[in-house]
Amino acid sequence: MPPPMNLLQTIVMGLIQIVAVLIVVFIMVPLLTFAERKVIGYAQVRLGATRTASGTRGFTASLNRGMWAMGKVPVLSFFRGLPVFVADAVKLITKEDIIPAKADRAVFTLAPILSVVAAFGVFSAIAYYPGVMFYMPKSWPLIGGLPFNGAIADVNVGLLFILGLASVGVYGIVLGAWASNSKYPLLGGLRSAAQIVSYEVPLTLSLLPAVILAGTLNFKDMSVILSTGQGMSPLAVIPLFIGFFIYLTCGFAETNRVPFDLPEAETELVAGFHTEYSGMKFGFFYLAEYANMIVVSCLATAFFFGGYYLLPFGLQRIIPASVPFLGHPSFLFFMAKVSLLLFVFIWVRATLPRYRYDQLMDVGWKYLIPLSLVNLFIAAVIRYAF
Amino acid sequence: MFKSEEMEINLGPQHPSTHGVLRVKLRLDGETVVKCTPVIGYLHRGLEKICENKTYFQGQVWTDRMDYVAAISNNLGWVEGVEKLFGIETPRRARYIRTMLTEMNRIASHLLWLATHALDIGAMTVFLYAFRERELLLDLFEAFCGARLTTTAFRIGGLREDLPPGFVKQARAFQAIFPERLEEYETLLSENRIWKKRTVGVARINAEDCIALGVTGPVLRAAGVPYDIRKAFPSAAYAEMDFEIPTRPEADTYARYLVRLAEMRQSHRIIQQCLDGLPEGPVMAKIPKILKSEVNEVYHAIEAPKGELGYYFVGEKGGVNPYRMHVRAPSFVNLQALPKMIEGRLLADVIAAIGTLDVVLGEIDR
Repeated sequence: MPPPMNLLQTIVMGLIQIVAVLIVVFIMVPLLTFAERKVIGYAQVRLGATRTASGTRGFTASLNRGMWAMGKVPVLSFFRGLPVFVADAVKLITKEDIIPAKADRAVFTLAPILSVVAAFGVFSAIAYYPGVMFYMPKSWPLIGGLPFNGAIADVNVGLLFILGLASVGVYGIVLGAWASNSKYPLLGGLRSAAQIVSYEVPLTLSLLPAVILAGTLNFKDMSVILSTGQGMSPLAVIPLFIGFFIYLTCGFAETNRVPFDLPEAETELVAGFHTEYSGMKFGFFYLAEYANMIVVSCLATAFFFGGYYLLPFGLQRIIPASVPFLGHPSFLFFMAKVSLLLFVFIWVRATLPRYRYDQLMDVGWKYLIPLSLVNLFIAAVIRYAF
Repeated sequence: MFKSEEMEINLGPQHPSTHGVLRVKLRLDGETVVKCTPVIGYLHRGLEKICENKTYFQGQVWTDRMDYVAAISNNLGWVEGVEKLFGIETPRRARYIRTMLTEMNRIASHLLWLATHALDIGAMTVFLYAFRERELLLDLFEAFCGARLTTTAFRIGGLREDLPPGFVKQARAFQAIFPERLEEYETLLSENRIWKKRTVGVARINAEDCIALGVTGPVLRAAGVPYDIRKAFPSAAYAEMDFEIPTRPEADTYARYLVRLAEMRQSHRIIQQCLDGLPEGPVMAKIPKILKSEVNEVYHAIEAPKGELGYYFVGEKGGVNPYRMHVRAPSFVNLQALPKMIEGRLLADVIAAIGTLDVVLGEIDR
């Protein structure tokens, strides 16, 4: 047991953890845009993204030439093009920030901040690792020997906190759309309000089976129980499995991604709610969208993919804890699963067309909500009957 | 307290999905379209008047700029119209090559339609797949006449040059891969549930309305009317070709999608027949250096990818340029169907309807 911390130590440790998580997220978001370019590039046979390959000299270049000769697209070109995301960030930060003359300046500025704060705030309650990840080196002043936890805040109602904070994000979109004082953003904002509010319901309902089966709202404990299956019936797989698909569908809608990207349907509404935004204000919306994708993937990982354990759905008990690496929770497992889900996000974008507004509402209210209620009922029955 | 207002919104002329500079004034009640008024003229260049001041040889160059994704069809209409006016017989080989190139152009035009239509509805991948095949066709055009879009491919009386060496081989290579590529698009779209939801029953217009408005081309054929000028009034070498006119009874966006895909298959068939049965012989008829007309008038229509493309020439005695030239542009006529298709429907359907009409603004405004 580490010694109890005093107030100063608590604050400093908290700040260190927050900064660490923020750095990881701030690296992941541009990496995600890079991955999106590459994955979509390969899916769509884009010549630029797949062929901004290596240089003409050196070891990788000769390997790539070999692959071209075999009629294959060189895999080594995969990492080239990484500087693009640095350029992206520099562009967004240095671009002129235009506020339309008729816009409501205060709200117009507030909206992207609200979006980005809501998206990033959620990361505070997500557990990447159960308990302590490592201890700070003993020799460091003030914080020497203190634990670095797997979550910034171990909230006992973590799920409620996350869902509550995430739903604040929609205000950013609606307020931004309204404050732009322009017609296309207004339509986009209205669509988004309707969409996110209606998909919040099945999203929450799809997570509830996991809560019922695990018997806790604490993020950290939930992952442990759901993957090791302590005290859970094997039948629990059924509601969790159905719940995962409902959750994923709603997750696409919550993050405004294809096929539910109506609020920013670029062929209909120009750019939807952020039509009038430019510079870093637009960058904030952009950051928030990608951060939200990561949040959705993190939640799906924790609830349905076994979190930081290797196997989900209580299958982890097959591997005894004595097995090195595989039997233990690991931050790597968590990240691998999150990356897999993020890949699915991008993959779907390359595959599907977009729903129409009324069809989107149909899917939400007529199919997803009844299905998730039934699923909830099944979970409850399994919890109390088996 | 609960006051509801209709909102007027401008779709275009610089809107991402209006395919050029089309402006559509929409009156919206929520997301429902109450009234729709297309506004055109942003690309007007006075093309018909220009052609009246150019000789018959020079005027053809301007037709490239009308429907710029189907320049070869425009060229075909012009040269055949002028040949009809002067009673010029073109050699059989030239007619075969014209037919082949026109059909290639039809595929290129339909591919561009498929690409942009799918992109409008949100299926981004089809866009790049279709452009990949269109690129092969543009390479063929480039091999034939040096230009990819503004081809000016034919000459009055035949062709300026015969096919370049290697052209037939290149064309056969395209013929070999195209059917499977078409199937690739179909696997992405035809049975895709979201695609069907967005297109089945959307922007419907029945055969009576089509005929009343003068709508032709795939839109009319998707309403069940098997009217195709290649069969009805065959020119070039169409009379010798074996092909079918695909039709569908549903008259909606999905039907038009199927009809255009089927047309690409038929065009593929025609190209194959042209390649296999290409006759030997000269490609240019003997014509005078200067064409001087009598008092005469001619209307000549061909089946362009978008519908009936008609050229109307009036010649004056001793004149080297047409006294009057008028173009019946299929996009211009087809666009009239837009309000009929979408009034009372949702904003997202407007995008689908503009896409399915396959209008090109260069042709509408001329």
